[in-house]
Amino acid sequence: MTVNHTGAIVLSLLKHELGSRRLAVLGWGIALALFAVMYIAIYPQLSAQLDSFRALFDLPMYRAFGMEITSFEGFIASMVIQFIPIMLAIYVIMSSTETLAGEEDKGTLELVVAMPLKRWHIVLVKATALAIVTLLILTIAGVGGAIALVAIKTSLVVDLTAMQLFLGILSAWPITLAVLMIGLFFSACCPNQRSAAMATTTIYVVSYFVESLAALVESLDTVKAFSVFSYFDSTAALFTEGIRAGDVAVLLATAAFFLVLALISFERRDITVGQWPWQRAKSGQKN
Amino acid sequence: MGDHIIETSGLTMYYGHQRGIIDVNLRVRKGEIFGFLGPNGAGKTTVQRVLMDVIRPTRGSATIFGLDCQKQGVDIRKQVGYLPSELSLYPNMKADAFLQMLASLREERVDLTFRQQLYERLNLDPSRKMKTYSRGNKQKIGIVAAFMGKPELLVLDEPTSGLDPIMQQVVLSLVQETKDDGRSVFFSSHNLPEVQAVCDRVGIIREGQLVKTDSVETLTEQQFKRLQIGFRELPPADAFDFDGVTETKRDGLTVTLEIAKGLNKVMGIAVTYGIEDIETLPVSLEEIFLTFYDREPHGGNRA
Repeated sequence: MTVNHTGAIVLSLLKHELGSRRLAVLGWGIALALFAVMYIAIYPQLSAQLDSFRALFDLPMYRAFGMEITSFEGFIASMVIQFIPIMLAIYVIMSSTETLAGEEDKGTLELVVAMPLKRWHIVLVKATALAIVTLLILTIAGVGGAIALVAIKTSLVVDLTAMQLFLGILSAWPITLAVLMIGLFFSACCPNQRSAAMATTTIYVVSYFVESLAALVESLDTVKAFSVFSYFDSTAALFTEGIRAGDVAVLLATAAFFLVLALISFERRDITVGQWPWQRAKSGQKN
Repeated sequence: MGDHIIETSGLTMYYGHQRGIIDVNLRVRKGEIFGFLGPNGAGKTTVQRVLMDVIRPTRGSATIFGLDCQKQGVDIRKQVGYLPSELSLYPNMKADAFLQMLASLREERVDLTFRQQLYERLNLDPSRKMKTYSRGNKQKIGIVAAFMGKPELLVLDEPTSGLDPIMQQVVLSLVQETKDDGRSVFFSSHNLPEVQAVCDRVGIIREGQLVKTDSVETLTEQQFKRLQIGFRELPPADAFDFDGVTETKRDGLTVTLEIAKGLNKVMGIAVTYGIEDIETLPVSLEEIFLTFYDREPHGGNRA
């Protein structure tokens, strides 16, 4: 098979993957945009009342969860930027685990694997499609937020620019990508979607609480580095100091690491059998 | 590769502790229709999935076109049309879009006229979403997907399953035309008359082991013979009661015997009672198949 033809096949499959997710892009993009628009739109009316909440948000518990509302930037970071990857995680975990384990459950994976493609092509195409889809969702949300910001700037004086807000929302993509690839890895090695989704969700939730509670519990400081949330800035500093390249690099490296694990796992697995890796290994040891 | 388009050697597959297939040595010749017979759970689908590299064998090897099914799977699959046993399709995709996507994955351009002919012959309207199709129509989509690229080899797992008798005949015609075109077909089936109708050779798999491979003709001739003998004088009931012979019917002076071995002994006994008439009756593949499962063609156990 020529390289050109392999490229054409991969593109064809990618087109199919993207096409099948167009409604998800629109649905999630618009939903997250509306979420951002809602908080931006209520801020002019809310800002006058926020003074009474300031003492509350100074409590260590709120600070631990990154809540900071002393400025518009802090308010947007705390209420919008922080929650976008958390909400998007529902889609990310479901779609990443659905893509291999879920398709195996439904039986559609058998025909895909029987195509003249290498297994790693299939994983790479699906990973690329999901990466593009989540980027598009965040782009729609970012554009929605930026438009809302421009609209309220007539009634509110803030330093935050529409571009800064757009990039701020887009800064959720590296952490989304990391979770996506963790989900894809579990999807490649678990016997069904439910197990893959449970494993990914557990890691995600533990990761969130470890990072959040590390500010309160000193002993968690050592494991904090393993939480993807440690590399996601959802404070006003995101807007004032910009996105930290080091954090992005760590998240992208995490995504790449789990993508490689997914490629290796899927390369070795049997399809339609629904076995855990150790059960498959046992099959390989029979004499 | 030689004359063999499919070749497996000591092919064994375990699912954890469960037996899949054991030491399957199979050879399918180029240009033939090979029927793969066995009841549910015998291992037919396992063999076909190993050939398509959907699952990896515990040990042994499998080649198609002389290429290793695991190491050179991509080169193999671009020349193979595959119909899995439990066909699952993307519910929200339209059939024509799905088939177009599969067509775009083949190296050679799919002949659109031929694909249209397949739609017409199978009476399939491909413009609907796949979730709206009945089981039979979904099977037709799978059949179009497997045949449309005119591949060198078709691997079909129960291709007529879920189809009405008319469509079953259409599929068998397509299989026959594939052979006439010099291409090969490897298909599994429960429907023994259809296997007998189109297959050149069959392989019978029992509890994961290939127990017999032969041409349909040889199998039906050699496995056992059915003789209907008209006597001048009726032999006693136990005249043919010996190893390898079963008396299946007595009607007046006519006795029907199934003879697996000892034909000379049967004839020696028969002549003593005077043979008025003798006729060899046809034996169906189904009856042959059942002998491998120690069952009488019409129920009961064969001794």
